[in-house]
Amino acid sequence: MQTVKMVISGAVNAGKTQFIRAISEIEVVSTERKASDDTKLLKGETTVAMDFGRITISDDLVLHLFGTPGQKRFDFMWEILSEGMLGLIVLVDSTRPETFRETNRIIDFFTSQRDAPYVVAANKQDHENAWAPDELRLALRLPAHVKIVPCVATQKDSVKNVLLELLYVIMQRSAD
Amino acid sequence: MALVGNLRDFALADFLYLIDRGYKTGSLQLNRQSAAATLYFEKGKLLYAAQAQERESLGEMLQRTGKLTPQQVQQAVQLQQTDGNQSLGTVLVEHDLITREDLQRHIQTHIEETVYSLFGWPDGEFCFNAGVKLDRDDVQSPVPLGVENLIMEGVRRVDEWGRIKDHIPNTDMIARFVDQPLEKAKSINLTPDEWRIFARINGKDSIKEVISRTGLSEFDVSRIVYGFISAGLVEVTRPRPPVPATGRAGAGAAAGAPKRSLVSRIINRIRGM
Repeated sequence: MQTVKMVISGAVNAGKTQFIRAISEIEVVSTERKASDDTKLLKGETTVAMDFGRITISDDLVLHLFGTPGQKRFDFMWEILSEGMLGLIVLVDSTRPETFRETNRIIDFFTSQRDAPYVVAANKQDHENAWAPDELRLALRLPAHVKIVPCVATQKDSVKNVLLELLYVIMQRSAD
Repeated sequence: MALVGNLRDFALADFLYLIDRGYKTGSLQLNRQSAAATLYFEKGKLLYAAQAQERESLGEMLQRTGKLTPQQVQQAVQLQQTDGNQSLGTVLVEHDLITREDLQRHIQTHIEETVYSLFGWPDGEFCFNAGVKLDRDDVQSPVPLGVENLIMEGVRRVDEWGRIKDHIPNTDMIARFVDQPLEKAKSINLTPDEWRIFARINGKDSIKEVISRTGLSEFDVSRIVYGFISAGLVEVTRPRPPVPATGRAGAGAAAGAPKRSLVSRIINRIRGM
């Protein structure tokens, strides 16, 4: 059985758990559930360790989805998680500009570690005060070749679309 | 749809960059404690800026700067009251108390100073409403201002190491020009120190090397490079990790790139979900 993995990262409350939950065929495994810092203020059940989901591709191939811890104190896990990943999805909460700086830090970390394909998912596009993807590109200063995909992490079709967009990027860089 | 946030998290320089590059039209409302300011933009350029607590009228400003005497201001105010709906600026120009160009230059300077003062706000709520246009008579409207110079000068007046460090976390970073930097640079005025650094940006040398060649301090070089970044002239990147000698130099495929057939299988599966 071959397994491949994708990493879902983003600042606290960007929607990583919801994203994986929307598409995983198994109940999302979260290794710890009790927030112990100010992230409690943002949501009742925040990710303090990591989320894990799975999609069976075929009898001999499985795709694993790993959600990274949002809090800065778990940075050390990012490097471990990114080892051998197929690609990376960076979720950004489009309604909270105060998280854009942290989002940039995450992108910077992963892109400096390895030359991994990635897309940015502009989550919470169904919210009235969401910044549009074009505005996020400018705010995050993303180069034109990096895809910013509109996303609603609670909707399966939207999550599928983000995964597919990442896979198209991976496909362009794949070997024959 | 309004863009809302706080300057603490998304600096004014970043917002002006977004306005410029996004070719935005609209009004930006800023509020901090009891202070408030409004900026109007059209197609990415600044049209007008004013602080709510401003007490100085146009006449008072022109008097303070020596452009008009108190008697001339008084005369203009009386004429304005007689003429009815005309603005003071229109009265001043129509009665040859000031040329249109002089009036616009003074208003422009006032607008610029207003914006520079906003760079000193460490925080403050902002709300950008796209599409809102300035309702103002032509005589008092200066020529739309490009925001690049505003950013450069505004950043010169900012001493925030923390904000600079967000963009330039260490001096190993490499500065390089973004696309078409010369086009942007044409409208930007640089100080001699800024030119010294500008001339040494080559996409290869680290900030550390620029520091050693210019003899300027780390803070000064970082602050100037931060200004270039904020104005959209320059971007900084980490140095690329060395490529192993045995690494595969595939055509566009990174080392360890997955096989196309594997990616196709995953795509088909996701599509079918």
